[in-house]
Amino acid sequence: MSADDQQRAGDRPILAVEDLAVHYGAGRRRQSVLDGVSLSVARGETVGIIGETGSGKSTFARTVLGLVRAGRGRILIDGEDVARHKPRQWQALRRRGVVQYVFQDPLRSLDPDLTIEDSLVEPLLVRGMRRPEAVERARAYLGRVRLDEDLLPRLPGELSGGQRQRVAVARALVAEPGLIILDEPVSALDSANRVGVLEILKGLRDSGVALLFISHDLGSVAGIADRIAVLYQGRFVEVGAARDVVNTPRHPYTRLLVGSAPTLRSAAAARARREELRALLRT
Amino acid sequence: MTTTQADRDLVAATDVGDSPTATPTPRPLPADEVVLAVRDVRIRDNVGDREIVHGVTFELRPGQAVGIVGESGSGKTLTCRAALGILPEHFTVSGGTIEIAGEDIAGLTPARWTALRGSTISAVFQDPGSYLNPSLRVGAQIAEVVRVKAGLRRRAARARAVELLAAVRLRDPELVYGQYPHELSGGMLQRVLIAAAIAAGPRVLIADEATTALDVTVQAEVLDLLADLRERTGLALVVVSHDLAVVAQVCDEVLVLRDGEVVEQGPTEQVLYQPRHAYTRMLIDEHEQYGLERFLDADADADADADADAGTGAEADADADGGRAGAPARDREFDGVR
Amino acid sequence: MGTVRRVLGLVSGRLAVAILFVVALLAILGPLVAPHDPLATSPRTLAGPSGSHWLGTDNLGRDVFSRLLEGSRTSVVGSVEVALVGLAVGVVPGLLSVYLGRVFEWVTLRVADTLLALPFLVFAVAVTSLLGNGITQAMLTVGVLLSPLFYRVTRAATLTVAQSQYVESALISGASVGWVVRRHVWGKVLPPVMVALAYTVGIGFVVVSSLTFLGIGVQPPAPTWGGLLASDLGYLSYQPWAPIAPAVLIIVTVWASNLLADAIRDVSGEAGRALLNNRRARAVRATATTEPISAGGATP
Repeated sequence: MSADDQQRAGDRPILAVEDLAVHYGAGRRRQSVLDGVSLSVARGETVGIIGETGSGKSTFARTVLGLVRAGRGRILIDGEDVARHKPRQWQALRRRGVVQYVFQDPLRSLDPDLTIEDSLVEPLLVRGMRRPEAVERARAYLGRVRLDEDLLPRLPGELSGGQRQRVAVARALVAEPGLIILDEPVSALDSANRVGVLEILKGLRDSGVALLFISHDLGSVAGIADRIAVLYQGRFVEVGAARDVVNTPRHPYTRLLVGSAPTLRSAAAARARREELRALLRT
Repeated sequence: MTTTQADRDLVAATDVGDSPTATPTPRPLPADEVVLAVRDVRIRDNVGDREIVHGVTFELRPGQAVGIVGESGSGKTLTCRAALGILPEHFTVSGGTIEIAGEDIAGLTPARWTALRGSTISAVFQDPGSYLNPSLRVGAQIAEVVRVKAGLRRRAARARAVELLAAVRLRDPELVYGQYPHELSGGMLQRVLIAAAIAAGPRVLIADEATTALDVTVQAEVLDLLADLRERTGLALVVVSHDLAVVAQVCDEVLVLRDGEVVEQGPTEQVLYQPRHAYTRMLIDEHEQYGLERFLDADADADADADADAGTGAEADADADGGRAGAPARDREFDGVR
Repeated sequence: MGTVRRVLGLVSGRLAVAILFVVALLAILGPLVAPHDPLATSPRTLAGPSGSHWLGTDNLGRDVFSRLLEGSRTSVVGSVEVALVGLAVGVVPGLLSVYLGRVFEWVTLRVADTLLALPFLVFAVAVTSLLGNGITQAMLTVGVLLSPLFYRVTRAATLTVAQSQYVESALISGASVGWVVRRHVWGKVLPPVMVALAYTVGIGFVVVSSLTFLGIGVQPPAPTWGGLLASDLGYLSYQPWAPIAPAVLIIVTVWASNLLADAIRDVSGEAGRALLNNRRARAVRATATTEPISAGGATP
């Protein structure tokens, strides 16, 4: 790769989604889930997608990961349009480990019968790395999420929820991805563990990994996201710097989101205002 | 987390001593009767042979709201269950007393319990779907509660059920009455359950993680509904959550429970702005660092107009002047709100 | 393998394995240690138990004990055949039905339904009349007719795993379907298949006994448990206790197979580990009741 190429790769967003539409079913049962959404994530950037149940936020992530077929539009992962990829091409792309995914529920995202070590090295073994080398790397990343090496021979069932979620993050990291998509990564965790995982994620952001958070709660990601995209009924109704979205939300839904997020300040103050916004959104 | 019995006693004793229930809230109460009194309640696991809850104390008068914050396993749910008389089999209340509307629950017969539940004390829980029969229309399930509890005839019960569905602000109560649980969203189901819970006009409603599984906007709707019921009907609330902010939004008094111990207890303002225990501070810090507060504080002035219609909240009245030195930035925000 | 050790950790598992071991031993060594020729007739017909004939003699004066021992081989081999044929025919399509697309899935499901609808005893009778009266022909038929059990069990287990998050996350890491099956699916499918296998062995014993009771699958002089039961029933008025020995053998063997199936189910997977951990914890608690046990709560 020439210096020029490298320069270009550096500028290129790690993920660019253009006019993506996704629907489920066909014919009369056809149901549009995403309706022409565009979003790009720059290298090292942290973006939060906020939306409620049924807004299409999980579908967005699953489409980017190739688990759901894109109906229309382009999905550029590190410059490569993957929207029309065949299973083989997906497999090749995934083995490069550019995009990784962390599920919401650490109870179910690790195979209960595999040791932590086996789970951690899996992404490396599938791309043909030798086991000793893979284990070496797994050890390194386990340290990165502040877990002890003696967890390696244990089973997920022997770990606490917080530990398991950290293992899930480490598993995403061993592939040395450019982008990690996290689906409600902390909502299943207790306060202490939540802070722990968020701190680790913040460290990742600082080390240059792009993060794409998916959450229903603006409050849970506002503190670490650079930009926030609000997904409502299959469209991004607002995309902007986290600070601006929180402080000067323009769309009524965003205003309701900000007003609804439980904060230590809000008290019952915004009740009447929320009522107004709900009425507005209903029409 | 193993503590000796002496430690526990010591902590429990200091907790009771610290308990700011001694400082009366200035807000006038609709009635001065205590509808739920929990005094130094201890709960024991008979199989594991250890104490799980080490002394919880609070009193609830009509129109008041007490919040219990803690993580899973902190004993908050057990405390609620004890107050409802539905502790799991191998748990027992090993110390302290619980009084519901002046009646000590220790001596209650099963028949008396049945009479109390629903009509004096009631509850809603986390997963609304699992508390409804999936094969019956939701309206019929509420009407059943009304018929059993209030002794209404079929027709009157139906009318009352529709009224209740309207009271929990479901938009089209007649339509919802005829729907099945699977046709309703999580937020609507939780409202239906609240309707069922208040059907017999209870004095106390326990909401145990009732909004945890819901979307944030829906959670706010349900919390608003609870606050509304409380203001309109004088329903006393016990709000249990793992999120301090959720509890702070609705309650005047907060208990922070950790490993079965009350590590902090006091008026909401005091707990938020003068947290004494490191654990409470951690809960607050999490919000400060990662929550919306991070922006709200920095731009309090810009944000002030967004919250311009503040003042409906009676919560902000209590203990407003008491020592604010601890958190100047946060105070600025509060001044903005006023 | 861990499951075997865990099965042996249960009292019921040990009991089941012990009984089945004895039955297997009978099948292998029985004919060698039989005190008499099981086919040799003698004038002493329908004799009661005695020193030389432990279980007496039958209507042709043959030693019942020797016939039981000799018959155990047919019964055991037959039932194992049933189970293995069912396993071989059912498991692979069950696994593939999840991965090979809709057409394969639809076809195999219909075939499984069809096989389930056929009454296997009647079918076995029909097939033996076509292919010749032999225990192997009969058992092959029954095995094929029982294969939907393996098909369904495998398919159900595979479906659960295939939709799990850890399989999705393996796929996202670039794992192939082959890798997913080897790494994640196989380990989850094996225990329920083992349960089905043990259960089918039990059914196999009943089927072999039923068929031989009816005289299908064996030529008349050859002894089997079911055949013994049938001939004993003919002379009930002379020896009312005679059917007890073969009946008890059949019952105990089938019971042991089912017990083994239950034991495997109990100890396999997450739930099995939890069960055994609980037992261990209870045992620890029992030995140290005076010492308060730390809750061992989740540390962050």
